[in-house]
Amino acid sequence: MTMTTSNPLLKPVYIFGPVRFDFWTAMTLLVIAVLFVLLILPIASVFFVSFLDEDTGAFTLANYVEVFTRNYYVKGLRNTLTVGLLGTLGACLIGVPLAFFTARFRIRGKALISTLAILVLVAPPFIGAYAWIMMLGANGFITNFFKGLGLNLPTIYGAHGIILVFTLKFFPFVFLMTKTALGSVNKSFEDAAENLGCNALQRFFHVTLPLVFPAVSTGAIICFVLSIADFGTPAILGRGFRTLSTIAYSAYTSELGGKPTMAVTVSLVMMAISILALFIQRRFLSKRRYASALTNRPVIQQLKGWRNWGAHAFCYAVVITAMFPTLVVVYTSILETNGPVFTGEYGLSSYRRVLLDAPEAIFNSFRFSLIAVAVIAVFSGLISYLIVRRENAVSGTIDVLMMVPYLVPGVVMAIGFVTTFRSGWYDLTGTGLIIVMILFIRRLPYGVRSTTTNLRQIKPSLEEAAVNLGASPLRAFVSVTVPLILPGLIVGSLMSFITAINELSSTLILYNSKTVTMPVKIYISVLDGEFGLAAALSTILLVCSGLCVYAVFLLADDRESSFV
Amino acid sequence: MASVDIVNIRKSYGPVLALSDIDIQIESGAFFTLLGPSGCGKTTLLRTIAGFHFQDSGTILVNGREIQNMPAHKRGVGMVFQDYAVFPHLSVTDNVAFGLKRKKISSALIKPKVAEALRIVQLEELAHRMPHELSGGQQQRVGLARAIAVDPTVLLMDEPLSNLDAKLRVDLRGELRRIQKDMGMTTIYVTHDQEEALAMSDVVCVMFGGIIQQAASPFEIYRNPANRFVANFVGANNFLAGNIDSQGDAILTTSDLKVRSIEGGISDTKIAVSVRPEAVNVSRGSHAASDDMLTFDGNIRQISFIGRELEVHGKTHLGDDVRAILRPTSDLLGLAEGDPVTFAFNRDEAILFENGETGRRLS
Repeated sequence: MTMTTSNPLLKPVYIFGPVRFDFWTAMTLLVIAVLFVLLILPIASVFFVSFLDEDTGAFTLANYVEVFTRNYYVKGLRNTLTVGLLGTLGACLIGVPLAFFTARFRIRGKALISTLAILVLVAPPFIGAYAWIMMLGANGFITNFFKGLGLNLPTIYGAHGIILVFTLKFFPFVFLMTKTALGSVNKSFEDAAENLGCNALQRFFHVTLPLVFPAVSTGAIICFVLSIADFGTPAILGRGFRTLSTIAYSAYTSELGGKPTMAVTVSLVMMAISILALFIQRRFLSKRRYASALTNRPVIQQLKGWRNWGAHAFCYAVVITAMFPTLVVVYTSILETNGPVFTGEYGLSSYRRVLLDAPEAIFNSFRFSLIAVAVIAVFSGLISYLIVRRENAVSGTIDVLMMVPYLVPGVVMAIGFVTTFRSGWYDLTGTGLIIVMILFIRRLPYGVRSTTTNLRQIKPSLEEAAVNLGASPLRAFVSVTVPLILPGLIVGSLMSFITAINELSSTLILYNSKTVTMPVKIYISVLDGEFGLAAALSTILLVCSGLCVYAVFLLADDRESSFV
Repeated sequence: MASVDIVNIRKSYGPVLALSDIDIQIESGAFFTLLGPSGCGKTTLLRTIAGFHFQDSGTILVNGREIQNMPAHKRGVGMVFQDYAVFPHLSVTDNVAFGLKRKKISSALIKPKVAEALRIVQLEELAHRMPHELSGGQQQRVGLARAIAVDPTVLLMDEPLSNLDAKLRVDLRGELRRIQKDMGMTTIYVTHDQEEALAMSDVVCVMFGGIIQQAASPFEIYRNPANRFVANFVGANNFLAGNIDSQGDAILTTSDLKVRSIEGGISDTKIAVSVRPEAVNVSRGSHAASDDMLTFDGNIRQISFIGRELEVHGKTHLGDDVRAILRPTSDLLGLAEGDPVTFAFNRDEAILFENGETGRRLS
């Protein structure tokens, strides 16, 4: 046997240790570059600005000192935590029982209940807020109805209104996650508890609930993070009750032109709360991992008598109450208006006004969202491949970075974009591009998550077989991987689209007259008292989201968990 | 067909040495099996040859040509996967044609090649089925047809039968061997099933801890294991505690049970005396040793009648567990737990090893 010496030119190229340079190395570099520019840089610049003195530009900690000492900010912080925690608590208090009833008892119209819960989820929260004003505001129809009976209801404005809206808006997260978990608890555990002498209630609190606690807490943490970052609800219902997100927004608008130091500092405090909450939950969960084989599926029980009635009444009361604001919005959209006043007749003039006054909002919303989602789809495929198939430090980092957009409030991201993409040489603010970019980075995780879940179910040997048969890595990806992850890719893209087209908090900072989107236009219309126009636009938005939900239902295997 | 030379292949995962200076020569047309417990490095070696892992150092030559730095898709080695890896979105025909299309062969030529591959694995009738309509055994036939359709230089098989049920496994292994012989295809086969390895291979290479323990014909591996690990892993074996005394005689614990004398000046060492269960004889009562036979007393612990043969578990008075496989006779079947018996084996059947998991063979 002769030994041939290796040609040095054929030696492998090492970049990160012994990694060969191939298509996927190039894609790793591309993804890192994109995430660096669109995610790390804006957040870092926001972080940097928060340590600058507003006037002199010198390094200072004064901004943080101000947030934690000045009454205005401390109160905002306390308000944020109050509505966040109580909203989350409310969501758990109705979400967990709803999940338990629908997972374990025979409830008629179960699919309808889940569908309504998902529709609640995809409707923008500020639509709910303003619908509650129409019902329970100073001049709301329910308020007026009770006034006619001589009863003065408390108005919806203030902390309790915000908590109510958060509870009814975010409970589906707790509901859907808990329900999925309840469906996969091995019944043997519950049988064992019963065998050891637990009654039904003890069994629930000592065995079932602890077993699904990881799912409940994950649902709760999503509620909490979204409540804290929510801008539309406190902006519309606050009336002097300020949370950190409304404080940040008004600080930003009043600091226009100057450095948005206070807006940025407040936003970062908001973000820190979310991260802290997530960190605590993760620490807590790390000791509570329950793997169990689903050998003994949970059974669905038929309740009798008043228990049966009670369970049905509870389930339907929850979803109908939560859906009610949305129905009010749809109803309002077909009422004739004269400025802010409803004339009491039916008609389509609000829709006519949409076509006359705000066609560009619809056009922009679709244009921006569709472009963003197209790019998201491509990157979701690439990133999920890197995360699932290339297990190394770099892909691990990308995986962690995919959590970040969930945690960064839209306001923070938008201010970061402004400070990053507006400089002496270039200015992207006010362009459609910057809105597409922010939609892309904020909604990318939805696409990546769904695609990643799909890809994890596909055996890596399939791609290896393709490569072994002579397909280049790119070819193997296109001809084998992509067709197999297509369902996940489509569901992820639909989820990205639903959330992108409903985006308000970041676009509100980045829009100008040429780049108005539907949610921005709705928000402005509500503030201007143009309820008819707002209702018609909201209905259009709801129909779009509803159609996407329907499409997800047709395509996804596990419909409900696609949404959380 | 091609010969394969693996020279000094080394591969580590962090501090763990997965492959330690692997040297293998495989003759053209040979059926070469890598056998070992999970984690022994056999699959790592196979995947390194396929190009799914890259070695830290060393050379892989196919027909004298270096392939160790080529990307996987250019190596031209066929592979059959443990989980079949049949593309679920492509029909049987499209699966088999997949590799041919990558070779830029005209479609007129692809058709007969696909048909030929499907004929070889006896799947002509299922050409238009989708994978989910096939059984596991049929899917693996598609995997094989797909691999051989592209005329690979070497065929790699990664435990291709381990996901099939026992009966099918035996049927398919005969068929695999027949196809391999007919085509004269150099094959590297990975398995943890020693029976499969012995039944199919020209050469069996036993691996453990990333190190080749022995590479030889199935008969040599079984009859002349190179070390204690091979003796233990391939086939059943008894290991009796022994010593080499100060005179260099290997004895079973007490000096009146001498196995044989050892050359090479070894003395005062603890050893293991191995003897295959089929070489152990069992009889009632107490019998003296002869020139050939070594005998020792013990008691029956368990008797299992498994049809063709009788399996006897016993414990010697020296404290060793002994297993014997015997032709069932009515006398032996009458034995009960606790009965005193004599175990005996021919001294020539015993192989002596140093103690330790991979203890060296002494004689």
